Amino acid sequence: MESSESEGKAGEYYDVVKKFEYLDHTADVQIHSWGDTIEEAFEHAVMGMFNYMTDIDGVLPRKTMEVSAEGTDYESLLFHLMDEFLFLSCTDDYFMAREIKITEFNREKWTMKALGYGEDFDRERHGGKGTEVKAITYSAMQVYDKTPKSEIFVIIDI
Amino acid sequence: MPRTFDEELQFLEKKSPCCWTIKKDFVPNMKVEGLFYVNDHLEKLMLEELRNSCRGNIGGFLPGVKQIANVAALPGIVKNSIGLPDVHSGYGFAIGNMAAFDMDDPEAIVSPGGVGFDINCGVRLLRTNLDETDVQPVKEQLCQSLFDHIPVGVGSKGVIPMAAKDLEEALEMGVDWSLREGYAWAEDKEHCEEYGRLLQADQSKVSSKAKKRGLPQLGTLGAGNHYAEIQVVDEIFDKHAANKMGIDHKGQVCVMIHCGSRGLGHQVATDALVAMEKAMKRDKIVVNDRQLACAHITSQEGQDYLKGMFAAGNYAWVNRSSMTFLTRQAFGKVFNSSPDDLDMHLIYDVSHNIAKVEEHMVDGKQKTLLVHRKGATRAFPPHHPLIPVDYQLTGQPVLIGGTMGTCSYVLTGTQTGMENTFGTTCHGAGRALSRAKSRRNLDYQEVLDRLADLGISIRVASPKLVMEEAPESYKDVTEVVNTCHAAGISKKAIKLRPVAVIKG
Repeated sequence: MESSESEGKAGEYYDVVKKFEYLDHTADVQIHSWGDTIEEAFEHAVMGMFNYMTDIDGVLPRKTMEVSAEGTDYESLLFHLMDEFLFLSCTDDYFMAREIKITEFNREKWTMKALGYGEDFDRERHGGKGTEVKAITYSAMQVYDKTPKSEIFVIIDI
Repeated sequence: MPRTFDEELQFLEKKSPCCWTIKKDFVPNMKVEGLFYVNDHLEKLMLEELRNSCRGNIGGFLPGVKQIANVAALPGIVKNSIGLPDVHSGYGFAIGNMAAFDMDDPEAIVSPGGVGFDINCGVRLLRTNLDETDVQPVKEQLCQSLFDHIPVGVGSKGVIPMAAKDLEEALEMGVDWSLREGYAWAEDKEHCEEYGRLLQADQSKVSSKAKKRGLPQLGTLGAGNHYAEIQVVDEIFDKHAANKMGIDHKGQVCVMIHCGSRGLGHQVATDALVAMEKAMKRDKIVVNDRQLACAHITSQEGQDYLKGMFAAGNYAWVNRSSMTFLTRQAFGKVFNSSPDDLDMHLIYDVSHNIAKVEEHMVDGKQKTLLVHRKGATRAFPPHHPLIPVDYQLTGQPVLIGGTMGTCSYVLTGTQTGMENTFGTTCHGAGRALSRAKSRRNLDYQEVLDRLADLGISIRVASPKLVMEEAPESYKDVTEVVNTCHAAGISKKAIKLRPVAVIKG
């Protein structure tokens, strides 16, 4: 465990399965995430955000944080969920998540609960691998709840 | 039916060599025409953006011209929605977009998108009495000293001790707080927009979430396109104006600091967007783009945002003051001299993401307007009462930061600018290449080597940022500044060249 930690990788932990990519946008970054379900697309949108701040493969699942979000539609729910995780990343102990799991999604009330598995930011292991995310935006936001593939497009302000 | 590129072009008209109008109906509900300033080269980039969007692209973000037009559809807008030469696609408002709203019109709105997430992101320039020859032998040491003094990058924390109560006072007092605590010089206040303090700020309108984000970050540089640069005077275009700023020869060393209100400002903007979405439904305000969320200026949401935004603005000034303090310390250590003996005075501090209440002449009448400047800088002319005494004859200094490794400029405000753009000019280079494209196409080592060839020392906290922030990713700041000069909306005074860069 010691040596794999110093390599900056999660050692015996597998590389995170990533269902997201970064698309061209002039000033900032557009995250494109997908999944078999809309929940999975949500999870990977958040992971895409964390992966921009640091290499999430190098984040160990030592700590679990729970987040609640609410909205009035898919867009506002996504916005709120990502904003809650963003808040965790830049306050207190600067929490970085390697994986996200949606535990509850109430489609009528538009509420969601999620867990983030990760750890506090460690300058030595996580530093210098990405950049800060300033905010989540509604700009060109698209949420597609479809089978067999759900997709999300969301721009984050760098 | 989406229009073809040629159909869209019917709505755009070149009025003069550097000025285009966007006619009404380019987008629905335009109350005034749009306007944008570009030269031939920048014009190509603008139209390219439009052409690409007509072809349809996944992601589907709006080109700058459409955004300028969408802003022209907002209630209470006066004269024109204006794009400056560095204009490019942003959130709701394009970056490099100015729009003023009539405060006497009950329908007039305030929009956080017209200010930006990074409230009071701005630039300040310090001079020194050092020459390039003094700095070259100790350049690496100086660069390292700055990097050690100024917290940068993901996970960085401020070094200036701050408790919750201090933060609240800083939000209310702006630079006056820094002055009281000994982090700023009295003269700094004089050379700052609003004297470094927006008086109508109300810290109670800043959410606890925003305060929580702001507390550890005070005095940090942040990442993205923020930086601290050691620069030398490369060219003096306007000797008289330069002299008034304490710049009298080529090779004179200056320090430029570019940053904003960090997580606090972003949270204030985010909180306001959420509140205003609800207000818009209630007050039946219709906009072309969700990101143009806004509220009537006189509404509770509008007033709350303004007061919170002013507080965030004050935070940014405290932040820049803190960084100034750390910079003065770093220089003092390396040169074994006091910052005072090094004449490290503040030339000026400008904001390029803010909304201000200002008096302007509209059709021969004096009006009170709420001027939104997003990625745009105030440029008041000579004799304007709100600019410092020493700049009364020359006009307000305008600081235009170039991108990493390219030059920066100091301009002055003009009467033409006051009349045509409500005293507004560009703010920088504006991006040309997306961050994703830059990361893919540019090589980190190549960018660093190129900077080394130019004799520029660099310390960067996030290596990936090096490609994203490479000069190739941006428009040419010289083109932008020359266009403003040609259009008469600001005048070139000084050109600066970087010798050391600190980035997050």
